[in-house]
Amino acid sequence: MKKRWLQSVLGLVGLVLLAVGLYLAKTTDAAEGIMRALPYVCIGIGSGLFGQGMGGVIERSVLKKHPEIAKQKEIEVKDERNQEISNRAKAKAYDVMVFVFGALMVAFALMNVDLAVVLMLVFAYLFVVGSGVYYRIKLEKEL
Amino acid sequence: MKNRLEELRKQRGIRQEELAAALEVSRQTIGSLENGRYNPSILLAFKIAKYFDVTIEEIFIYEEELL
Repeated sequence: MKKRWLQSVLGLVGLVLLAVGLYLAKTTDAAEGIMRALPYVCIGIGSGLFGQGMGGVIERSVLKKHPEIAKQKEIEVKDERNQEISNRAKAKAYDVMVFVFGALMVAFALMNVDLAVVLMLVFAYLFVVGSGVYYRIKLEKEL
Repeated sequence: MKNRLEELRKQRGIRQEELAAALEVSRQTIGSLENGRYNPSILLAFKIAKYFDVTIEEIFIYEEELL
Protein backbone atom coordinates (compact mmCIF):
# COMPACT_ATOMS: atom_id res chain seq x y z
CA MET A 1 0.00 0.00 0.00
CA LYS A 2 2.80 2.38 1.00
CA LYS A 3 4.74 1.54 -2.16
CA ARG A 4 1.69 2.13 -4.33
CA TRP A 5 1.15 5.51 -2.70
CA LEU A 6 4.82 6.41 -3.23
CA GLN A 7 4.67 5.36 -6.87
CA SER A 8 1.58 7.52 -7.45
CA VAL A 9 3.29 10.52 -5.83
CA LEU A 10 6.45 9.92 -7.90
CA GLY A 11 4.35 9.73 -11.05
CA LEU A 12 2.61 13.01 -10.20
CA VAL A 13 5.89 14.75 -9.31
CA GLY A 14 7.28 13.51 -12.63
CA LEU A 15 4.28 14.86 -14.52
CA VAL A 16 4.62 18.28 -12.84
CA LEU A 17 8.39 18.37 -13.56
CA LEU A 18 7.72 17.40 -17.17
CA ALA A 19 5.11 20.15 -17.54
CA VAL A 20 7.40 22.75 -15.89
CA GLY A 21 10.28 21.68 -18.12
CA LEU A 22 8.19 21.94 -21.28
CA TYR A 23 6.82 25.34 -20.20
CA LEU A 24 10.33 26.67 -19.45
CA ALA A 25 11.71 25.31 -22.71
CA LYS A 26 8.92 27.07 -24.65
CA THR A 27 8.97 30.41 -22.83
CA THR A 28 12.66 31.12 -22.14
CA ASP A 29 14.30 32.26 -25.38
CA ALA A 30 17.59 33.89 -24.44
CA ALA A 31 18.37 31.98 -21.29
CA GLU A 32 21.83 32.08 -19.75
CA GLY A 33 23.71 30.03 -17.20
CA ILE A 34 21.82 27.25 -15.45
CA MET A 35 18.50 28.22 -17.11
CA ARG A 36 19.84 27.00 -20.47
CA ALA A 37 19.98 23.41 -19.29
CA LEU A 38 17.37 23.40 -16.49
CA PRO A 39 14.24 22.94 -18.69
CA TYR A 40 15.75 19.89 -20.37
CA VAL A 41 16.95 18.47 -17.05
CA CYS A 42 13.36 18.88 -15.76
CA ILE A 43 11.98 17.15 -18.88
CA GLY A 44 14.46 14.27 -18.51
CA ILE A 45 13.92 13.69 -14.78
CA GLY A 46 10.15 14.30 -15.11
CA SER A 47 9.81 11.75 -17.92
CA GLY A 48 11.79 9.19 -15.95
CA LEU A 49 9.80 9.64 -12.75
CA PHE A 50 6.46 9.74 -14.57
CA GLY A 51 7.27 6.60 -16.56
CA GLN A 52 8.48 4.67 -13.52
CA GLY A 53 5.65 5.83 -11.24
CA MET A 54 2.84 5.17 -13.70
CA GLY A 55 4.46 1.91 -14.83
CA GLY A 56 4.46 0.70 -11.22
CA VAL A 57 0.84 1.75 -10.64
CA ILE A 58 -0.37 0.05 -13.85
CA GLU A 59 1.65 -3.09 -13.08
CA ARG A 60 0.15 -3.33 -9.59
CA SER A 61 -3.40 -2.89 -10.81
CA VAL A 62 -2.90 -5.58 -13.50
CA LEU A 63 -1.29 -7.99 -11.00
CA LYS A 64 -4.14 -7.41 -8.56
CA LYS A 65 -6.59 -8.75 -11.16
CA HIS A 66 -4.37 -11.73 -12.01
CA PRO A 67 -3.02 -13.26 -8.77
CA GLU A 68 -1.54 -16.26 -10.63
CA ILE A 69 0.72 -13.90 -12.65
CA ALA A 70 1.60 -12.04 -9.44
CA LYS A 71 2.61 -15.32 -7.77
CA GLN A 72 4.72 -16.32 -10.79
CA LYS A 73 6.40 -12.91 -10.80
CA GLU A 74 7.16 -13.21 -7.08
CA ILE A 75 8.72 -16.65 -7.69
CA GLU A 76 10.84 -15.25 -10.55
CA VAL A 77 12.06 -12.38 -8.35
CA LYS A 78 12.85 -14.59 -5.33
CA ASP A 79 14.32 -17.44 -7.40
CA GLU A 80 17.84 -18.08 -6.08
CA ARG A 81 19.32 -18.78 -9.52
CA ASN A 82 17.88 -15.54 -10.91
CA GLN A 83 19.30 -13.65 -7.92
CA GLU A 84 22.73 -15.22 -8.41
CA ILE A 85 22.67 -14.37 -12.11
CA SER A 86 21.72 -10.78 -11.28
CA ASN A 87 24.45 -10.47 -8.63
CA ARG A 88 27.11 -11.97 -10.89
CA ALA A 89 26.12 -9.66 -13.75
CA LYS A 90 26.33 -6.65 -11.42
CA ALA A 91 29.75 -7.76 -10.18
CA LYS A 92 31.04 -8.10 -13.77
CA ALA A 93 29.60 -4.70 -14.66
CA TYR A 94 31.34 -3.19 -11.61
CA ASP A 95 34.69 -4.61 -12.75
CA VAL A 96 34.14 -3.14 -16.22
CA MET A 97 33.08 0.20 -14.73
CA VAL A 98 36.28 0.51 -12.69
CA PHE A 99 38.36 0.21 -15.89
CA VAL A 100 36.07 2.52 -17.89
CA PHE A 101 36.13 5.19 -15.16
CA GLY A 102 39.92 4.88 -14.92
CA ALA A 103 40.38 5.24 -18.69
CA LEU A 104 37.97 8.19 -18.75
CA MET A 105 39.91 9.98 -15.99
CA VAL A 106 43.21 9.54 -17.84
CA ALA A 107 41.60 10.66 -21.11
CA PHE A 108 40.08 13.77 -19.48
CA ALA A 109 43.40 14.64 -17.84
CA LEU A 110 45.26 14.27 -21.16
CA MET A 111 42.61 16.36 -22.96
CA ASN A 112 43.24 19.20 -20.48
CA VAL A 113 39.59 19.18 -19.46
CA ASP A 114 38.69 21.61 -16.67
CA LEU A 115 40.31 20.48 -13.40
CA ALA A 116 36.95 20.68 -11.55
CA VAL A 117 35.44 18.11 -13.95
CA VAL A 118 38.42 15.74 -13.56
CA LEU A 119 38.33 16.10 -9.77
CA MET A 120 34.58 15.40 -9.66
CA LEU A 121 35.16 12.27 -11.71
CA VAL A 122 38.05 11.21 -9.42
CA PHE A 123 35.88 11.71 -6.32
CA ALA A 124 32.99 9.79 -7.90
CA TYR A 125 35.42 6.97 -8.80
CA LEU A 126 36.90 6.90 -5.29
CA PHE A 127 33.40 6.96 -3.76
CA VAL A 128 32.35 3.92 -5.80
CA VAL A 129 35.56 2.03 -4.97
CA GLY A 130 35.21 3.08 -1.30
CA SER A 131 31.62 1.78 -1.27
CA GLY A 132 32.93 -1.55 -2.51
CA VAL A 133 35.47 -1.71 0.33
CA TYR A 134 32.80 -0.66 2.88
CA TYR A 135 30.35 -3.38 1.82
CA ARG A 136 33.15 -5.95 1.73
CA ILE A 137 34.07 -5.18 5.37
CA LYS A 138 30.38 -5.08 6.38
CA LEU A 139 29.65 -8.43 4.75
CA GLU A 140 32.83 -9.97 6.23
CA LYS A 141 31.39 -9.21 9.68
CA GLU A 142 27.86 -10.34 8.85
CA LEU A 143 28.59 -13.63 7.10
CA MET B 1 27.74 -31.47 -9.35
CA LYS B 2 25.89 -34.47 -10.77
CA ASN B 3 22.41 -35.27 -9.51
CA ARG B 4 19.48 -37.62 -9.97
CA LEU B 5 16.82 -34.92 -10.06
CA GLU B 6 15.61 -35.61 -13.60
CA GLU B 7 15.52 -39.36 -12.91
CA LEU B 8 13.52 -38.93 -9.69
CA ARG B 9 11.16 -36.42 -11.31
CA LYS B 10 10.45 -38.68 -14.28
CA GLN B 11 10.02 -41.72 -12.01
CA ARG B 12 7.18 -39.88 -10.32
CA GLY B 13 5.71 -38.51 -13.53
CA ILE B 14 6.10 -34.87 -12.57
CA ARG B 15 6.64 -32.10 -15.10
CA GLN B 16 9.36 -29.48 -14.60
CA GLU B 17 6.68 -26.79 -14.22
CA GLU B 18 4.95 -28.73 -11.44
CA LEU B 19 8.20 -29.32 -9.56
CA ALA B 20 9.15 -25.65 -9.96
CA ALA B 21 5.76 -24.56 -8.58
CA ALA B 22 6.04 -26.93 -5.62
CA LEU B 23 9.55 -25.73 -4.77
CA GLU B 24 8.70 -22.09 -5.54
CA VAL B 25 11.52 -21.64 -8.04
CA SER B 26 11.48 -20.89 -11.75
CA ARG B 27 11.21 -23.67 -14.33
CA GLN B 28 14.60 -22.57 -15.70
CA THR B 29 16.16 -23.30 -12.31
CA ILE B 30 14.86 -26.87 -12.45
CA GLY B 31 16.26 -27.22 -15.99
CA SER B 32 19.66 -25.89 -14.93
CA LEU B 33 19.72 -28.16 -11.88
CA GLU B 34 18.92 -31.20 -13.99
CA ASN B 35 21.64 -30.32 -16.50
CA GLY B 36 24.15 -29.89 -13.67
CA ARG B 37 24.85 -26.30 -14.74
CA TYR B 38 23.64 -24.87 -11.43
CA ASN B 39 24.29 -26.12 -7.90
CA PRO B 40 21.47 -25.30 -5.47
CA SER B 41 21.82 -23.58 -2.13
CA ILE B 42 21.69 -25.88 0.88
CA LEU B 43 18.13 -24.64 1.58
CA LEU B 44 16.91 -25.54 -1.90
CA ALA B 45 18.73 -28.89 -1.70
CA PHE B 46 16.83 -29.65 1.54
CA LYS B 47 13.54 -28.56 -0.04
CA ILE B 48 14.14 -30.89 -3.00
CA ALA B 49 15.10 -33.78 -0.70
CA LYS B 50 12.01 -33.18 1.45
CA TYR B 51 9.77 -33.00 -1.62
CA PHE B 52 10.99 -36.39 -2.91
CA ASP B 53 11.20 -37.79 0.63
CA VAL B 54 14.83 -38.87 0.26
CA THR B 55 18.15 -37.67 1.68
CA ILE B 56 20.24 -35.00 -0.04
CA GLU B 57 22.96 -37.58 -0.74
CA GLU B 58 20.44 -39.69 -2.65
CA ILE B 59 19.86 -36.82 -5.08
CA PHE B 60 23.15 -34.94 -5.27
CA ILE B 61 26.33 -36.87 -6.00
CA TYR B 62 29.44 -35.33 -4.52
CA GLU B 63 32.62 -36.11 -6.41
CA GLU B 64 35.95 -34.61 -5.40
CA GLU B 65 37.52 -32.82 -8.35
CA LEU B 66 40.57 -34.56 -9.79
CA LEU B 67 43.64 -32.32 -9.59
